[in-house]
Amino acid sequence: MTQLTMGKALGAGLRRAMADDDRVLLMGEDIGRLGGVFRITDGLLDEFGGKRVIDTPLAESGIVGTAVGLAFRGFRPVVEIQFDGFVYPAFDQIVCQVAKLHYRTRGRVKMPITIRIPWAGGVGAAEHHSESPEAYFVHTAGLRVVAVSNPQDAYTMLRQAIASDDPVVFFEPKRLYHSKGEVDLDAHLADAPPMGVARVVREGSDVTLLTYGAQVGVALDAATAAEDEGVSIEVIDLRSLSPVDYRTVTASVRKTGRVVVTHEAAREAGVAAELITSVTEKCFHYLEAAPVRVTGHDIPYPPAKLEKHHLPDLDRILDAVDRVLGRPNSLSEVVL
Amino acid sequence: MIAEFRLPDLGEGLPEAEIVQWLVAPGDPVALNQTIAEVETAKAIVELPSPFAGVVGELKHAAGDVVAVGEPLIVFEVDGDPSGEPAPSAPDAVVAAPSTGETQDPPNLVGYGAPPRSTSRPQRRARGGGRIPAADTLVLEAAPHDAVPDAAPEDTRHERPRSTPPVRKLAKDLGVDLALVEASGVSGLITRADVEEYAARVGGAPSTAPVQAPADRVPAATAPPGARETRIPIRGVRKATAAAMVRSAFTAPHVTTFLTVDVTATVSLLDALRADRRLEGHRIGVLAIVAKAVCLALSRHPELNSRWDEEAAEIVQYHYVNLGIAAATERGLVVPNIKDADALDLTGLADAIGDLAQTARAGRSAIDQLMGGTFSITNFGVFGVDAGTPILNPGEAGILGVGAVRRQPWEHEGAIALRDVMTLSLSFDHRLADGEQGSKFLRDVADVLREPGRAMLLR
Amino acid sequence: MTYTPITDTERLLSLDEPLQLLTPDGRRRHDPQLDEWADDLDATALRGLYRDMAIARRVDAEGVALQRQGQLGLWAPAQGQEAVQIGTARACRRDDFLFPSYRELGVLLVRGAAPADTVLTWRGEVPSTFDPYALDVAPPQIIIGAQSLHAVGYAMGIQRDETDQVAVAYFGDGATSQGDVNEAMVFASSFASPVVFVCSNNQWAISEPVTVQAKHPIAGRAPGFGIPSLRVDGNDVIACTAAMRWALDHARSGEGPAFLEAVTYRMGPHTTSDDPTRYRSADDVEQWRARDPLTRLEAHLRSMDAFDDAFTAAVDADALAYTTEMRAAAIGAVTKPALALLDDVYATPHTGLAEQRAHFAAYLDGFADESASSEEVAG
Repeated sequence: MTQLTMGKALGAGLRRAMADDDRVLLMGEDIGRLGGVFRITDGLLDEFGGKRVIDTPLAESGIVGTAVGLAFRGFRPVVEIQFDGFVYPAFDQIVCQVAKLHYRTRGRVKMPITIRIPWAGGVGAAEHHSESPEAYFVHTAGLRVVAVSNPQDAYTMLRQAIASDDPVVFFEPKRLYHSKGEVDLDAHLADAPPMGVARVVREGSDVTLLTYGAQVGVALDAATAAEDEGVSIEVIDLRSLSPVDYRTVTASVRKTGRVVVTHEAAREAGVAAELITSVTEKCFHYLEAAPVRVTGHDIPYPPAKLEKHHLPDLDRILDAVDRVLGRPNSLSEVVL
Repeated sequence: MIAEFRLPDLGEGLPEAEIVQWLVAPGDPVALNQTIAEVETAKAIVELPSPFAGVVGELKHAAGDVVAVGEPLIVFEVDGDPSGEPAPSAPDAVVAAPSTGETQDPPNLVGYGAPPRSTSRPQRRARGGGRIPAADTLVLEAAPHDAVPDAAPEDTRHERPRSTPPVRKLAKDLGVDLALVEASGVSGLITRADVEEYAARVGGAPSTAPVQAPADRVPAATAPPGARETRIPIRGVRKATAAAMVRSAFTAPHVTTFLTVDVTATVSLLDALRADRRLEGHRIGVLAIVAKAVCLALSRHPELNSRWDEEAAEIVQYHYVNLGIAAATERGLVVPNIKDADALDLTGLADAIGDLAQTARAGRSAIDQLMGGTFSITNFGVFGVDAGTPILNPGEAGILGVGAVRRQPWEHEGAIALRDVMTLSLSFDHRLADGEQGSKFLRDVADVLREPGRAMLLR
Repeated sequence: MTYTPITDTERLLSLDEPLQLLTPDGRRRHDPQLDEWADDLDATALRGLYRDMAIARRVDAEGVALQRQGQLGLWAPAQGQEAVQIGTARACRRDDFLFPSYRELGVLLVRGAAPADTVLTWRGEVPSTFDPYALDVAPPQIIIGAQSLHAVGYAMGIQRDETDQVAVAYFGDGATSQGDVNEAMVFASSFASPVVFVCSNNQWAISEPVTVQAKHPIAGRAPGFGIPSLRVDGNDVIACTAAMRWALDHARSGEGPAFLEAVTYRMGPHTTSDDPTRYRSADDVEQWRARDPLTRLEAHLRSMDAFDDAFTAAVDADALAYTTEMRAAAIGAVTKPALALLDDVYATPHTGLAEQRAHFAAYLDGFADESASSEEVAG
């Protein structure tokens, strides 16, 4: 086991994936000589050469579109979109081509493309650098979507994503790039939990708290603080957003009867809406209270000085926990 | 054979077309793909190529007609076998080909076209073809990176009781713990009736709902001949009642105080009241007098009309008396209560007691009657016993057991005389009242029963 | 190789006429840039090209007819563009990979698309027909210009495999306005990838004339990206063949991408849902009919005594065989059962979709009539 930052863990995962399969290529802006604006791909150009680590022109649609062509040719491109807010020019290629080509060709052509996206806020960044666009991709059939919350998952799940024959949109919370954690670099992929399963990161009995990405840390803090009030929160890191591991989720909800979902992304039609609907469909008869979501507001991502009011923090989460427990909360007097 | 050509949707959703002109007439020979008509749609003027090789039979519409998509345009007589010559080739000419012997099925109308305007009522498709599997089956297939490890059969020990939000609210309002309620619904769902039934158990009365599961009946104990024991499953009502009793017994420290009192004066009073014409129709009995005495005494001893609220760390003293009267019924013990009994006069109390008893015996006590009591009376005197140690109705501070009225020798004005004597057994929650308070309360009640006129001293 | 491709923009833009080796009335011409690439096109070769173009035209007409008869939901006519499609596709090596748009019927035919392959997608039975790896052709693309990036990516793959195939991107004049096409040229040029861009400038993007897309000849853009370019008469199959050979050779020998603009005309509507009478005149169309690719080649072959009734009869027979099978495939198509809807979304099982599939199957099984069954229909 090694202590690694998430950034280094991702780099190690890429290195391992490229060593294991010489059809794996990396493409993106500034990923070669610079090693990436976050240094995720640091050293990989030297190790694997310019044929496999490609500094692309500044054109996201071009990056993803040429990755499609490379996939046609039998390569496994790993594409880096420099920042979450820049994925939109590539949206057409992702949704109309990457996601649909397997279906369009009835399985003859595979799109084993991994699209890595430094994602989400909490880093005091400029406009367009703190986006949470995961819902658009979760909604797109043909894509798998995952979000990592810790260095071990970053290492393992990135390798799994690259090895998958399906396209994977891989969200990396940039505010955790420098957070350290234990990573087993020798872990066999076959022994690791599958990419599609969720993990109960903290057991509890009173409330099920569903989340993913950097928000997992906030959820764990909230659970710790809740102990002081005698409330026991079970925190689940979803890890995979498409598909969602409902087996793990529903087992928890059947135990606690109360659900709170939290994510940075905006509220309207966000992933929480899908989770709550599915949980309600599957666990209605176990619910003690209506599920509650704690999300970003329905606004464009705000300027850095105000982002702390946008990102759902410990207090907002516990306010929601109060609500599902039927305790006084900020909306007690409000008719919804 | 006859082949029909119906107007197709010519352009992604066009509903109709107007025939501009026919280029063929009945009797004309026609080659495959030969232009037979020009039609005008909302978008364009379009030439229609013949889908068949054959002879024109009938033109179904004339030039100028507007034809809806799907309507027959023209009928052909076609050969059953390939025949005819290809037309001379020219770069732009459409190939004329003999029929390949295709059938006379009308062409598939591809594209959406206009939905056929149907005059019949919308209807569902007939069902019942196959099995409908359980709705909450989760199908999980494994892929190398997606495999969900096949866990052991799901551990349901930690699952909460299953119910619906409205029923949960009902249970909460009634103070019913769903974990104790037996479920009669599909897949272990606790229904509204289940909660009502349970509440009846906790209070004792059967619910207003029709009998559902056999769970609330004591199963017939069929002992095989010669058996040395009979096993009756603990479930349903019995289980629930037992649980409630246990909860009560082990939560509130019970103390029982006894007082035997000469109630001859009460008995006389009752005789007099019974003979009073003005009170015809009102059956006033000992229980009514006891009830009145209790209400009066409680006003002087509020600690016996209170509740221990552990959660809020408060004792709640009521400013009203909801007086529970225990009744033995077929189903077991029920304790419906008279709301605001302290506001009723003796006649009112007597009537209320009568109604309560009747309703309880008929198995029709309303949920509302069974909940919210503040003090109870249990009349085990009807069973012929004198005293007992009654268990508190959960949540209440006291319960007064009323024994049988016996004619027995008693001290009376310095001599021994045969008097009507009755024992009162008061159990109370020692957290809420101490021995002195309990005793004083009991004395006040007894005083009224010994000398009914003393009631005027209490209020 | 003595030929020097035109990269000089000024010189390119000064061209009034696209490069031509066969005039509209069938006379053979010379062009210093193209001649050497057309030297070997003898009568046999030319008859082969004629045959392919004639069959393409018949197949296209059959497609239109089938749509008018209600057998296909839509058809995008390729009439008039046979020379570009046949000439360029024939010039390719069999293992070159082609990325066509939805209009490149001739390209599919050259690669051996079966009759059923030409109709079942337009009929709405399947999202695509042939196996791309069997024909080395990507499924025809509907998103305008998207395929140009795919071709470049494929070419980047060829470079990494260190082999000498070429990737070819086909698109129209309208597509050159799309960002993807421009990005494709950036990538191709920056990486010197073995890709040929074939722009069929058929003068129309639905109702918009090419002048809305380009104020200069389209071929003039490529040099701006560093990509050598030729502008040819797209109705001249000899010039198209020659120009394509030049372009392929350029790419195949490691010189990087090349661009062809083939100036042609879309004789039919954009699709069978379109009405061109609303935006162009019959005169305009007739002018181009006079420049028809088949007519001129026929005239030329006749002048070589290489065009007779026996030849045309053989061509007609081949065309008839193909279109007959096309028609039968369309009319006889068996629509898949409902549950097939959910096939092939993913390469590996997806639990969310698997659950939906199970539920949908249960729903379908709940109906009394057979047609709703989730069971596979035999055959």
